[in-house]
Amino acid sequence: MAQGRKGKLNYRCPRCLMREIDMDMLYDRDAGEYYCLRCSFVGDEQEVLRLNAQFREKYQDRTRRITDF
Amino acid sequence: MSMGKFYVTIIHRPEMVPEYLQKEAEEGKAEDLTRSEVIQESINIFRTQQRVAHDNGLRTTIQMTYASLFSSEVVAIAKEHHEKYGDEIGSTFLGIQCQQFRDKFKSKELAVWLFSMEDKKRVVDEVIDKFYAVFGFYPTSTGSYYMDAELVNYIKSRYPMIKVAVATCWEEGPKAYWNANNSWYTIFDGSPWNPWIPSKRNIHCPASCEEDDIGIVAIPHLSRDLLAVFDGPGSYYGTHPQNILRGMVYEGREIPYFRNIVDQYRAMEKYNGGYAYNMMFVGPGWMSKNGRWESDYDSLHKSYEDGMAYYGQLKREGKAQDLTMSEFADVYRQDRPYTRPECTLWKDILYGSERQQFWYVDPWMRTCLDMNQGGAMIDLRPYAAKLVRPCGVGTKCLQDASYPFLVQSFYRAGYFTHYAGEGAVKSSKFCHRGEEVDLCACRTLASFSEEGDTRIVTLDPVEIEFANFTIRVQSVFRFAEGMGEIEIVREIIDTTDLQAEVTIDEYITACYGTTEYPEDLTGVRLALEGASETERIDYAYRCREAEVDGVVLAEALVPQVDTRLTMRTDTDEAAGYFREGFAFSPMYTIGIKKVIKGKGELRTWLKVEKAS
Repeated sequence: MAQGRKGKLNYRCPRCLMREIDMDMLYDRDAGEYYCLRCSFVGDEQEVLRLNAQFREKYQDRTRRITDF
Repeated sequence: MSMGKFYVTIIHRPEMVPEYLQKEAEEGKAEDLTRSEVIQESINIFRTQQRVAHDNGLRTTIQMTYASLFSSEVVAIAKEHHEKYGDEIGSTFLGIQCQQFRDKFKSKELAVWLFSMEDKKRVVDEVIDKFYAVFGFYPTSTGSYYMDAELVNYIKSRYPMIKVAVATCWEEGPKAYWNANNSWYTIFDGSPWNPWIPSKRNIHCPASCEEDDIGIVAIPHLSRDLLAVFDGPGSYYGTHPQNILRGMVYEGREIPYFRNIVDQYRAMEKYNGGYAYNMMFVGPGWMSKNGRWESDYDSLHKSYEDGMAYYGQLKREGKAQDLTMSEFADVYRQDRPYTRPECTLWKDILYGSERQQFWYVDPWMRTCLDMNQGGAMIDLRPYAAKLVRPCGVGTKCLQDASYPFLVQSFYRAGYFTHYAGEGAVKSSKFCHRGEEVDLCACRTLASFSEEGDTRIVTLDPVEIEFANFTIRVQSVFRFAEGMGEIEIVREIIDTTDLQAEVTIDEYITACYGTTEYPEDLTGVRLALEGASETERIDYAYRCREAEVDGVVLAEALVPQVDTRLTMRTDTDEAAGYFREGFAFSPMYTIGIKKVIKGKGELRTWLKVEKAS
């Protein structure tokens, strides 16, 4: 199999991110997929972005400007 | 300190070989600390950051790294910006690694606090003397991610003109370590979240008097979200726009969360006599041209622009004053009695809950009350002990530079344990004929007020339902300045059955430590002093319990952290008790309880003292 290399923008493993571990993934150019050395996640860029969006959902106030303190 | 002042400190550190840039450039190549593309990119980012600050009318503190002292370009920028904009030229112990350092010290160590004491002295002398050689004057500000008291004491002995330092990262401890795949050794939980004057004995602890004053004003590295960072990575939630990108607290390219943090810090003036503070400190490695944290360079840059623009806007509107580090130290010391606490009623600005946590720091303790748990105390650091706890090579603690806790409910379970034993928390239970309700299960909100030198947290009443009647309970916490003691009032303000008897059981279940893992409690002593009897045991994991009537004092002596924790009350109608734990529940509990018929209160005081 091909050598794993850093992918663009240092994509972190979205599954590890869910447990608050910043784990840069490696990218397999031949397979066109990212993979995690720790948790066995494997997926293409769309899958990474989908899970990242899911990760952000926990921040219910991420788009809200709060000024009342 | 004048009323209604929000001070902002902007710090830029021209690292020549930032870890993130270097790692990227290195992929597939051997290490090379002189890689010119990394150094030049880093300088360019530093220029950009300076420009963004100045464009927004803000002055900065340029913390010259050791590596940057060898760059005539950076030195020239610093001198020019000092002249032109009034920026301060300071020093930092971050960014020491470069070829010159490697040649001189033969070490790859990047964390100044982790050197041996002997090497710390050598590094300090080299860094500061080199600074002097380059600029012809000594810096008055310095910093790192962490500056241990031993290091600062040495710096002050050699370079007494240094008056301020970036000295800790708030709550960077086991969580930060975990977040970095157990490879980032910034393990130093337990400091104040806002500037303080540290003790000579331990940098985390605010000094209690002039003799204890270490001689600098300490500034935390970034202003962090007190709720999110207490239970999450410090590097996600603070006044560091790229930290927020790292935490993915955005949608599209907008991050209102940054402004929300700034505004909540501004609101701290309500709790601190009109004073509030913010600092922003972003190293060049966070603005890489290649992008970082799933964000391209444009996003990284925009986040920085937006953040700085907000500070600039506040300054223009007269709502913020930009001070360099040394200027801030002078202003801070002008009106800062040692005993004055720092407090804040922080509210959730991230998860959409209404949750509030009250944070309090003074020279005796740091503590946190969680309104989501009925005001339960979920963090307690015995600053009164002023533990001498050196870190670095050759010390017992080595990388573990945290200040120990007695209670840290997220590391040591708190109210919810996994169906066995007890967790560390201070709360109160209300009991009636076999029914028992802990206030930890009674979510509420709080308000803050002051009476003279006493800070008061008053919780909204909560309802407790027993099988045949209901009571309304209100909790009030009073922090009298300079006492090292918290007065806690639990009052049944209403009941549907005036004849019903309810026992109020005020307790603290505690342990000690700096991490999630249990420490040996052997040697802890639990004691009770009652009207006519005393009880005392040495902790041995034997599940022993004792109770005395007419309690005068309930005490836990924890020699491992040189701390004496006591509870007392103002009534002779209360019983005191202690409870020893067991190996599967490595906790100790002391408590005071009183039976109330109908309405009434139990008033107790929790005191933290140095044991020896």
